Amino acid sequence: MFRLDAMRIVLLVLLLAGMQVFAMLGGFFGQEIVAEIAILAILAISLDLAAGFGGMVSLGHGAIMGVGAYAYALAGQHGLTPWPAALTAIAASGVTGGLIGAVSARMQGIFFIMATLAFGQMIWAFTFSARWLGGDNGMGGIARASLPFSDLSQPMAFANYALCLLLAVFLLAAATLSTPFGRSYQAVHDNAARAAAIGLAPRRIRITGFAISSAIAGVAGILAAQHMQFISPAMMFWTTSGEVLVVLILGGIGTLTGPIVGAAIFVTLKYWAAGWTDHWHLVIGALLIAVILAGGRGITGEAERRLRHAFR
Amino acid sequence: MTAFWTLQVLNALQHAALLFLIAAGLSVSFGLMGFVNLAHGALYMLGAFIGISVAAQTGFWVALIAAPLAVSAIGALLYLCLLGRVARLGPMPQVLVSFGLVFIATELVRIVWGDIPLVLDPSAALAGRVDLAGATYPVYRLFVICIGAAMAAALWLGVNRTNLGAALRASVENPGMARAIGIRTERMFLLVFTLGAGLAGLGGVVAAPITAANPGMAVSALIPALIVTVIGGMGNIAGAALGALIVAGIEVFGAVLFPAASAVLIYAALAVALIWRPEGLLVAKGAR
Amino acid sequence: MKPFVFSCLLAFALPAHADTTVGLMLPASGNYAALGQDIEDGFRMALQEAGRSNIRVIEADTEADPQTGLTLARKLIMQDRADVLVGVVSSAVLGAVRDVVHQAEIPLIVANAGNSDATGKDCSAFITRVSFSNDQLNRPMGEWMAAQGISSVYTLAPDYAAGQQMIAAFSDAFTAGGGEIVGGEFTPFGKTEDFGPYLAKAQASGAQALYVFYGGADAVSFVKQYDSFGLRDTLPLYSVGFLTAPLYLREQGTSAAGVIGALHYLPSLDTPENEAFVDAYQKAHPDTLPSEYVVAGYDAGRLLVGALDSGAEGRAALAAALPQVAYTGPRGPLKIDPVTNNIVQNVYVFETVEGPDGMTHQVLDTVEAVRDPPNGCAME
Repeated sequence: MFRLDAMRIVLLVLLLAGMQVFAMLGGFFGQEIVAEIAILAILAISLDLAAGFGGMVSLGHGAIMGVGAYAYALAGQHGLTPWPAALTAIAASGVTGGLIGAVSARMQGIFFIMATLAFGQMIWAFTFSARWLGGDNGMGGIARASLPFSDLSQPMAFANYALCLLLAVFLLAAATLSTPFGRSYQAVHDNAARAAAIGLAPRRIRITGFAISSAIAGVAGILAAQHMQFISPAMMFWTTSGEVLVVLILGGIGTLTGPIVGAAIFVTLKYWAAGWTDHWHLVIGALLIAVILAGGRGITGEAERRLRHAFR
Repeated sequence: MTAFWTLQVLNALQHAALLFLIAAGLSVSFGLMGFVNLAHGALYMLGAFIGISVAAQTGFWVALIAAPLAVSAIGALLYLCLLGRVARLGPMPQVLVSFGLVFIATELVRIVWGDIPLVLDPSAALAGRVDLAGATYPVYRLFVICIGAAMAAALWLGVNRTNLGAALRASVENPGMARAIGIRTERMFLLVFTLGAGLAGLGGVVAAPITAANPGMAVSALIPALIVTVIGGMGNIAGAALGALIVAGIEVFGAVLFPAASAVLIYAALAVALIWRPEGLLVAKGAR
Repeated sequence: MKPFVFSCLLAFALPAHADTTVGLMLPASGNYAALGQDIEDGFRMALQEAGRSNIRVIEADTEADPQTGLTLARKLIMQDRADVLVGVVSSAVLGAVRDVVHQAEIPLIVANAGNSDATGKDCSAFITRVSFSNDQLNRPMGEWMAAQGISSVYTLAPDYAAGQQMIAAFSDAFTAGGGEIVGGEFTPFGKTEDFGPYLAKAQASGAQALYVFYGGADAVSFVKQYDSFGLRDTLPLYSVGFLTAPLYLREQGTSAAGVIGALHYLPSLDTPENEAFVDAYQKAHPDTLPSEYVVAGYDAGRLLVGALDSGAEGRAALAAALPQVAYTGPRGPLKIDPVTNNIVQNVYVFETVEGPDGMTHQVLDTVEAVRDPPNGCAME
């Protein structure tokens, strides 16, 4: 069961403050990077909800995020202002996830992974060749949200906005997990048979959990669309989902703070390692294997374990 | 018109032969060890590139033998050093470690062989075309069909008609019992993994004269192979062969009859298969 | 971790004192890495030739990923204070950076991405293209084939925006010339490795000729497979010239013999400018012929040097000066169309033939000074 204990709160505060400082000192590029980390972290938190707490490892989360991004862009084209468009997009992602979940929820392990891969790839293939969605050339001219007190066209303001959304998503996810639904959801993951025996409906609970996770992936999609002001099907391909899974494992699955750590490492490594090698994927691959061999708890998981031992 | 359909049937068989070579190892190692090896596509890629390099030195026929052997050796090494340990950790670590290997293999291939696509020229004995029922078909593609069929037959016999095969089937159905009656399952795992890697390597070198080898193929070959494995049912040779025929049939006849939907069709087929028969069409008895 | 990374980022972002800063946006990893390398080689060749040491080049690995491309473009524009951006291989990356470039009023010299809209309805006074547009290569080929008396064609291309655009431009010109498109297929992008089913369809269509667009690994596979089915006698192969471009010709070998295409540059062009260029390139790359990508990078460099030579300095002046540059280079006379900022250049219709030292391109016809119509381009 998830607990938002003192250690996690401290880590969350440190992470957010660290990124805030990084954005302030790192210039425009630092602000761009912080926004990108926040987007990736939101997506990874959404995957953590599905995979870490629900046992539903998804290779379709990139596509589900893409549905949110495209829905946001289309709603904007049809005259909706950013906030109502964002609500539409979250609903679109949530419904997509609910449908995928309804079909896949009874599957376990690799079969669930394959099912989400299949649906994600269908969404990608459709978007990629759909001329009315711009095909692989994507769509541009997407509006950022407007706030009365802040001009989000400024990179610093946008980085702060992204960090605020990240905090909101984190708290929302933590709150969801501590509701009665959240507890049943985790119980179903721990032992579906026992959960069914005490009167829970495992399938319905899993579907709902996957839909909630998908709606959060939609938030990441909207934020990505607002950040780039451009979207393309690249974000929907299964390797994007694979990379998010990598982020989640690097940071620590089932912790909610791990996704943020993983996203920060992944994005900085991407831009930093690309500066001195054309083969930065090599570094990521080796790091990934090292983390799994070290026990698979990820950086946050491992740190939490050591700290707990130290304070006992 | 018959010539047209003959051509397409041959195309489907040829495609199925390649898919079978890639998927057979994936399917059996999944059935036996419950191990999802996403790096299987990387082994296929290595088969193609090693084959091209060997053929440049010694010719096509040597490459046809040497590349699968080399890839088997790489597979055995990977199993002994890394994957054997990970296999015990459950599906998630397996998926991720092998995904990490895909990253590494792709970059290593870029470093060694570069980014420009390479092809393999087959032996002159396999060049040219033959007339079959009014259709003119490349000899090499017939050769691919034969290799696929021969491998499928050999594997089926090996699994179903030999003592080793019996031990293998026993290990798939009930590993605990197999160990209790003295079957050394660990050694069985290594054997199966090495053989599967070799088959993927063979697939790579056989495909290289038809499709240009490039660093992207580790990923692009993986998905169809996974789909074959899931549709056919994991852990048995007949299932992998059936899955390969179905996927190849959908790809080829989908391209002919429903071209607008052809990008989506195999994923739709995968989804349908998972919903209708989540365990696969032909699943080894006792395997999950 | 944070301060360490931060100082590293700062280290490669610190402005040095140079007159002109160039942001070179090319893929160094992923599918287009080979193209990126060629463009960079050509670009640096031009700078070296001009003997300018006051140009600082900052490299940015965009992969083929719009998100990465956009982030790096913003970094180059805002943090590195680049005076000019050069590169962009993928049209998706171009689409992603277009608005940012236009709003920041920084000149961008496009060295590959061929999306016709970038110098059509989405054109910008700040975006100059020295490579080609998809329309520019396919339209002359359609007209030329119709003029050759070919009456019916079957088309094949990958199912993505560039493939659709190329085939549409070809088909319009070919039918306007009196030809007929009897059929065609867009093959799933990135996963069609086996063209057998499509080749059989093309054969059964009864068309007089086959017209295709493929690049990368697909170009090599397609030509090999076309040859293995023995279609050369019954269904001659025409293409956008990328199919048998220098980058792939060595692998394709004699399979490519007889393929006819149209391209804006061929290493075998018989002009003094090109001979000098090929010689210079081969000093650094023995036994390799420069590809059209090397030339695009080289001309991007020449264009920049030309603009600097005219006395332009800073973003606005460079943006204004770039389209004014005109010269005769390796690919022949080259200038920029002031209406669209797209290049005006010769398009060479060629046949791929066996030469004394392997495969080469023999020019059949030269369509001079091909210029795209404005296509809705209105620069403010």
